[in-house]
Amino acid sequence: MVVLRLEELLSSAEETVRFALKSGAAEAEAFVYQGLTTNISIERGQIAKSLRIIDRGIGIRVIINKAVGFSYTNILGDKNAIEEVVSKALSSAKASKPDKNWQTLPKQKPSVSLVQNTYDHRIVELHSEDLVKAASLMLDSAIATDKRIFPIEGGIGASYLSKAVANSHDIANAEEGTIIECSLATIGQQGSEVTPVCFEFNAERNYNIDPEWVGKEAARLAASALKAKKVDTETMSVIFAQVGFQELLYFTLINAVKADFVQRNQSAFKDKIGGRVASEIVTVFDDGLLQGGLRTSKFDGEGVPQQKTTIIENGILCNFIYDNYTARKEGKESTGNATRAGYLSTPNIEATNFHFMPGKKSPEELISEVKKGLLVYSLQGAHSSNPASGEFSVVATPAWKIENGEIVHATKGVMLAGNIFQVLKNISALANNERKAGQIVAPWILVENVRVIGK
Amino acid sequence: MKEKHPLKDGLINIISYASQKFGAEYVEIRAQKLLKTMLTLKDGNVEAAKQGIENGAALRVLTKGAWGFASVGTLDTESLKEAVSDACKMAKTASSKLKNPIKLAKTKAVEDKIIAKPRKDPSKVSVEDKINMTLAMNKVILNYDNRLKGCTIDYMDLTGKNYFINNEGTYIEQDKLYVWSRITATAKETDIFTFSREEIGSTAGYEVFDVETPEVVGERTAKRAIEQLKAKTPKGGTIPVILGPNVVGVFVHEAFGHLAEADLILAGSILSDKLGKKIASETVTFYDDGTINGAFGSFKYDDEGVLAQKTLLVKDGVVVGLMHNRETAHKLNSKPTGNARAEDFRVEPIIRMRNTFMEPKDHSFEELIEDIKNGYYFKSFRGGQANLDGTFQVGIQEAYEIVKGELAKPIRNASISGNTLETLLKIDAVGKDFELWPGRCGKGQTAFTCDGGPHIRVREVLVGGSA
Repeated sequence: MVVLRLEELLSSAEETVRFALKSGAAEAEAFVYQGLTTNISIERGQIAKSLRIIDRGIGIRVIINKAVGFSYTNILGDKNAIEEVVSKALSSAKASKPDKNWQTLPKQKPSVSLVQNTYDHRIVELHSEDLVKAASLMLDSAIATDKRIFPIEGGIGASYLSKAVANSHDIANAEEGTIIECSLATIGQQGSEVTPVCFEFNAERNYNIDPEWVGKEAARLAASALKAKKVDTETMSVIFAQVGFQELLYFTLINAVKADFVQRNQSAFKDKIGGRVASEIVTVFDDGLLQGGLRTSKFDGEGVPQQKTTIIENGILCNFIYDNYTARKEGKESTGNATRAGYLSTPNIEATNFHFMPGKKSPEELISEVKKGLLVYSLQGAHSSNPASGEFSVVATPAWKIENGEIVHATKGVMLAGNIFQVLKNISALANNERKAGQIVAPWILVENVRVIGK
Repeated sequence: MKEKHPLKDGLINIISYASQKFGAEYVEIRAQKLLKTMLTLKDGNVEAAKQGIENGAALRVLTKGAWGFASVGTLDTESLKEAVSDACKMAKTASSKLKNPIKLAKTKAVEDKIIAKPRKDPSKVSVEDKINMTLAMNKVILNYDNRLKGCTIDYMDLTGKNYFINNEGTYIEQDKLYVWSRITATAKETDIFTFSREEIGSTAGYEVFDVETPEVVGERTAKRAIEQLKAKTPKGGTIPVILGPNVVGVFVHEAFGHLAEADLILAGSILSDKLGKKIASETVTFYDDGTINGAFGSFKYDDEGVLAQKTLLVKDGVVVGLMHNRETAHKLNSKPTGNARAEDFRVEPIIRMRNTFMEPKDHSFEELIEDIKNGYYFKSFRGGQANLDGTFQVGIQEAYEIVKGELAKPIRNASISGNTLETLLKIDAVGKDFELWPGRCGKGQTAFTCDGGPHIRVREVLVGGSA
C-alpha cells in the first residue's frame, strides 16, 4: 500500500466535507488518519516475530438539526466508499435525536501552535534490520544482567503517524509525527519462587531511545523482586514510581478534571475551582505542546490548537480540560483536549501530557527520608477504582519495603486502599527524576499515610 | 458447476505466491468485511450515532522458523501480494537471531461455511430502534431515584464475514455477529459518589434485549448505585467470604484462567509445573468452553482455523488441561484447543479465553452462608487483573457484610486479592446454582468472553479496605 502524503490526506478530508455539505449536512467534519508501524517482538527469551501494520481511514461527523451522526471507513480513495460513508453519517444523524446543547463545530483559529521534537525522519527511514539489532541489544543486556531472570515479552516498535482534519468552518489542518518505543517484561525465578512481571520501557518522539538501559533495568527489577516477603497491615508512606502513579490517576484524577465529567456531576472537583485539592507543593499542567511529549500535537482531534493548561497550581485547582462541545456549553473556548481513537471514533476529552512538576530531591534522597514505607512500581487492578469517588483498592506489584531510609526487601500480596483525592493532599515530596509514562510526565512521588493491607 | 469466487481465488493465488517465491513454511490469510453500529447516550443525549465499514486482511507467514505478520486495510489483490512479500521478508529478518525455530501442531484441513442465524439480525434493526432502546434504559435508570445523577449507555453491534485460508488446505467462511452494551450509572448524596456498571453481550442476535430488557437491566443498574449510598467501606484484612457467580466468574478468569493460557505457561506462570497436579480442593472443576450457543465468548472456528471445543482445565482440583494455539500445542506436545483469537485484521491471533466457568456442585446459598460468623458476600465485580506469580485482584462493585450467618449491611469499594495457589485450596464449598456473565478481556487486544459459575465459599481471602 502506498503511503499517502499529508496534502493527500488533507484534500481527501476537504473533499469529503464539501460532499457532505452538498448532500444535506448543516455542518461537517472529516478526520483522516494514517498509521504505519513496524515492530520486532520478543517472545519468551527470543526475537521470533516481526509485524508491519498499515492502518488508515476516514471518520466523518455531520450535524443536521443539532443531531450528530458519525461514520467511518478504511476504504480511502474510492469515490463510492466515500459517498456511502457520508450517506451513513447523514442517516445516523437523521435517526438520532437533536442535542439542545449543540452549538457548532469549532472555527479555525488565526494562529497555529508550534511544537518541537515530534517528528524525526530517522525513525521513518529505519529498516527492520536496525530494529532487530536494537531489540537484540536490549535482550542481551537483560540476560547478561542476572541469570535468575527470564525476558518473557517485549520488543521495539517504530511508527509514522499522520492525520488531517477539515470542517465546514474553515478548519484545514494536517500534521505528521513519529514515535519509537522499546519495552521488556521480565520475571525472576529462583527455586519455586516466581516474581510478578517487572516491566521497563522507553518511548520517544525522536530516535533517541536506550534499549540497553531498558534491558538492564527490566532485569534488575525482576532480580530485586525475588525473596519477597509479606508486610503487616498498617498506615505508612508510599513512593509511587511513574507507571504506578499513572495507573492510579488514569481512572480517577484525570477523569475528575474532564469537563464532561464535571458538567454531568460525576467529578469530585465540581465547584472546587479555586479551592485546595492537593498539597501546596503540587503543580500540574496539561501540556499539549510539551517538547517531545508523547501526546504533543499542533492541533487536537477537532483541529483546535493544543495548549498548555494549568490544572493545579501550588495545590489550588485552576482549570478543567475541554473539547469544543463542553467548552461552548459554558461559553468557553476548547482547551484542545479532543482526542480520537484514530478514524474509528468521535472526539473524546482526554488529557495530553499530564505534567507533574518535579521537585529537587534525587530518588535516593526520597527513599532516605522514609522511615517506614513502600516503593511501588506498578499496580494491579487500578481499573477497578471508583471513577466518581476516587476510591481505590489495588495490589502493589512489584513493590519494595523501605525501613529507615533503605530498601530492605521485595514485598508480596500487598494491597493499597484509599482515595486519590486524599492521596493528592498527602503528597509530601516530588523527586527530580521526571519521565514520560503514557499520559503523564512525572517524577517519583512520596505520599504520606497510605493504608497498606498486608497480612 | 464451479461457483465463482473472486476473493477466494485471489487469496489462493497469494498463498501460493508466498510459498513459491519466498519459501514460506506456513502461510495464512484472514480477510474481513465488517460493519459496525455504535452509539453513546449520556444522560439521555445521543452523543453521536455511528456506523462504520472496515475491510482488511491479516497475513501471517512462518519463514525459517520465525513469524512475519502484515496487516492492511484493503482486500485488493495487489496490495495483499505486496503485504505477504513484506511479511515474508520481515520473518526472514526476525529469524536472524532465532534460537528455537517455531513449529506448529498439525491440524486437519477443513473447508466449511458458517452462517449466523440470529432471530433478530442487528444489521437489520434500524438505528432509531437502537436509540429508542437505550433511551428507554436511560429513563428507567434516571427515574428510579432522584439521587441518580448520571447515566452513560454504550451500544455496539458488529456483523460481517471472516475468510480464513492457509496453505494446508483449510478454507473457512464464518459470519461474525456480536451485540454488546455497557450501562453505567452514578448516584450522589452529600459527598458520597457511587458507581454501578452492567454489561450485556451476545453472539445470538439483537434478541438478547428481549431478555435483558431496558426495565430489567435499568433497574439492576440503578438499584445498585442507590444501595451503595448507604454502604460503608470495609475493614481491610483476611476474612471468610461468599463469592457470587459474577465474582466467581472473574475470579476463575483472572486468578486461574490467564495462568493456564499456554503462552503464559511458557512465559513462566506459576502453573508452569502444575499440569497433572492437585492445586485446588476436590470440589473445584473449571472449563473454558467455546461451544455454548449464543454466549459472548463462543465461535465455531478460531482464528487459526481450529474448531472451538469445550476444554476441561481443572477436574476435581487437578490441572488436566491448558488453553493452546498451534504454536504452544506443538511446543508442549499437546493439541490445539481453539483458543487462538484476534480482535480484528489489525492484529495477530493470540491465546484467549472463551466462556470460562466453574462447575456447580451441591450447596444451597443458605448452606454456604450459615456457618460464617463474620465475613463478606461479594456479589458483583468491577474489574480484575492477574499476574504471572499468581497474585490476583478483583475489584467489587456490590458487596454485603455477613453477620452470624446472615446478610447484613452493604459495603462499597472493596477488592479482594490473594495468591491463586493458596486461594484455590481454601474453597471449601461450592453452590448448586449457575450464572454466566458477558465481559471483555484485555490482553493487548480486547476479546469478548463470558465468565461464570455458582456461589462458592472461600475460607479466607485478603480484602483491601480503607476502614
